[in-house]
Amino acid sequence: MNRFFQLIALLVLYCVGLAQAQQTIDITKGIEDRGIPIAIAPFGGGAPEDIAGIIAANLKRTGQFVPRPSGAPADYAVAGQARPGGSRGWVVQFQLTGAQGAPLLNLSFDAPPNQLRPVAQRISDLIYEKITGQRGLAGTRIAFVGRGGGFWFLVVADADGQNSQIILRSTQPIMSPAWSPDGSRLAYVSFEGRRSQIVVQDVYTGARRTVSAAPGINGAPSWSPNGQRLAFALSRDGNPEIYALDLATQAPPVRLTNNSAIDTEPVWMPDGGIVFTSDRGGSPQLYRIGPGGGVPQRLTFQGDYNARPTVSPDGRHIAMMHRRGGRFHIAVLDLATRQFRVLTPGGTDESPSFAPNGAMIVYSTGQRLAAVSVDGGMKQDIAIRGSARDPAWAPFSR
Amino acid sequence: MQKCIRNLIVAASLALLFGCAATGENTEEQTGVQPDATAQPELAGQPGQEVYSYPYGQAPSGYESYDFYDTTGGAIAAVQPGAAPGQTAGAGAVSADRIVYFDYDSAQIRTDSRPIIEANARAMVGNPRIITQLEGHTDERGSSEYNIALGERRANSVRQFMIVMGVSPQQIRVVSYGKERPAAFGSDERSYALNRRVEIVY
Repeated sequence: MNRFFQLIALLVLYCVGLAQAQQTIDITKGIEDRGIPIAIAPFGGGAPEDIAGIIAANLKRTGQFVPRPSGAPADYAVAGQARPGGSRGWVVQFQLTGAQGAPLLNLSFDAPPNQLRPVAQRISDLIYEKITGQRGLAGTRIAFVGRGGGFWFLVVADADGQNSQIILRSTQPIMSPAWSPDGSRLAYVSFEGRRSQIVVQDVYTGARRTVSAAPGINGAPSWSPNGQRLAFALSRDGNPEIYALDLATQAPPVRLTNNSAIDTEPVWMPDGGIVFTSDRGGSPQLYRIGPGGGVPQRLTFQGDYNARPTVSPDGRHIAMMHRRGGRFHIAVLDLATRQFRVLTPGGTDESPSFAPNGAMIVYSTGQRLAAVSVDGGMKQDIAIRGSARDPAWAPFSR
Repeated sequence: MQKCIRNLIVAASLALLFGCAATGENTEEQTGVQPDATAQPELAGQPGQEVYSYPYGQAPSGYESYDFYDTTGGAIAAVQPGAAPGQTAGAGAVSADRIVYFDYDSAQIRTDSRPIIEANARAMVGNPRIITQLEGHTDERGSSEYNIALGERRANSVRQFMIVMGVSPQQIRVVSYGKERPAAFGSDERSYALNRRVEIVY
């Protein structure tokens, strides 16, 4: 009898699953030592940076390579040297070879001593791109919000967590940084003056402009794909709704939603549509509207809480915060197959942000940053001394 | 004009302050720091400047070498010296008779909170010059922007209650900090309960 009920329950679950046409896969354990073996020899020449070490760490971080010591059996090999000389102080030279020693890359760089690390990042990306055909992330950056000593900080670090540069220090909270598509500006929420406002800051000059300071909530900014508009949440009409602002014309923001529930966390899709969080169905879930608004279409049905969407650059995947059993995970929905994957073991995981090549997602575990590959196979912490929340992966620099 | 002069004085004293500072802070001016260009005059009078922005690579120190008085982690570092994690941080030093607590995932005014709101509302009705800011907060669970919306719901519940008591809407400002300004830094039920609150700030 008991078994009969179990069967019924399974059948109901199965039908519910079919009705939603979404499938849930749990990928919460990393897959070790999976990837292309690549042998990396130490760079001779006495450079002040461990160039081979930086390259090995970057390739390992992609989850697609297994670095090996030189001489070990591998599909590819990297060798090189950095010696004093050239027009700028150092000459860094390297070769990438494939099976049977076939030459694939053979390049050299002139660099001043303080640029050896960026050269190592560049070499990492060149190797990655040559072998995978995808753009590499070693030369990219991540913005995040730090906290300590009574201050909030907006910080821009390299993708491996090194070289963290403060671009804003405030005695009031800072939230939700978002990169402009050209990587020159960050939009974020600031509570200076003990009220919320959306500020756009030029990363390279430090100049700031408040673009929204309406009564109530000014939250969750997101840039349109062409960088000309910002979507955000305002509660000036009584409850949070999604608005879009044309940055050039300064015309009043256009309202895109109309519902008595909470609508917030808009993110632009490559096609001009917008995905956002709403609790109009009773719990927070993700919805999508077209470029001009319209009737929102519900996208998520798993668990009782799906929020804070981030969209892959090709528009195919949406990653989000996902709650099940009282724990928050990072999960990803494949819009093409409707497959729903839980990527992290969970706890207080939040604020996912897609890398510009769509292969990785950076997120916060509460006080630390971590990254996970979009297939869940690669996970790692991003080491930053001090607290780090609200990460935003920058676009590729031009 | 007066505002302009006042701003000039503030700017001049800030310049003096940084000019005299013996630390690396005085390099800020040479490196092109942008003092908050968006400062709103009506909100001036805050003690000290709240915000400094820096061109990328030109802040006086990197984030990891920043001289926090405690660098073991953000939450602990943000607590007042001497306070242990989980203790009340006393961020705004708001007294207990101006804090309204809420149940989990709820913006309903609890019966035990009514006397606090009523006492504050009576004071405001009696003195229409009092302007209050209702600051809504949540516990740390969930998305930060969604929590901003939940905190505002709580502050609006208190606002509505005060308006029913006869307080003029012009006397009330509402802001939500969501989970950004916790009163207690622990990740336990006790801390969560202390953080789900609206502070009535005069």
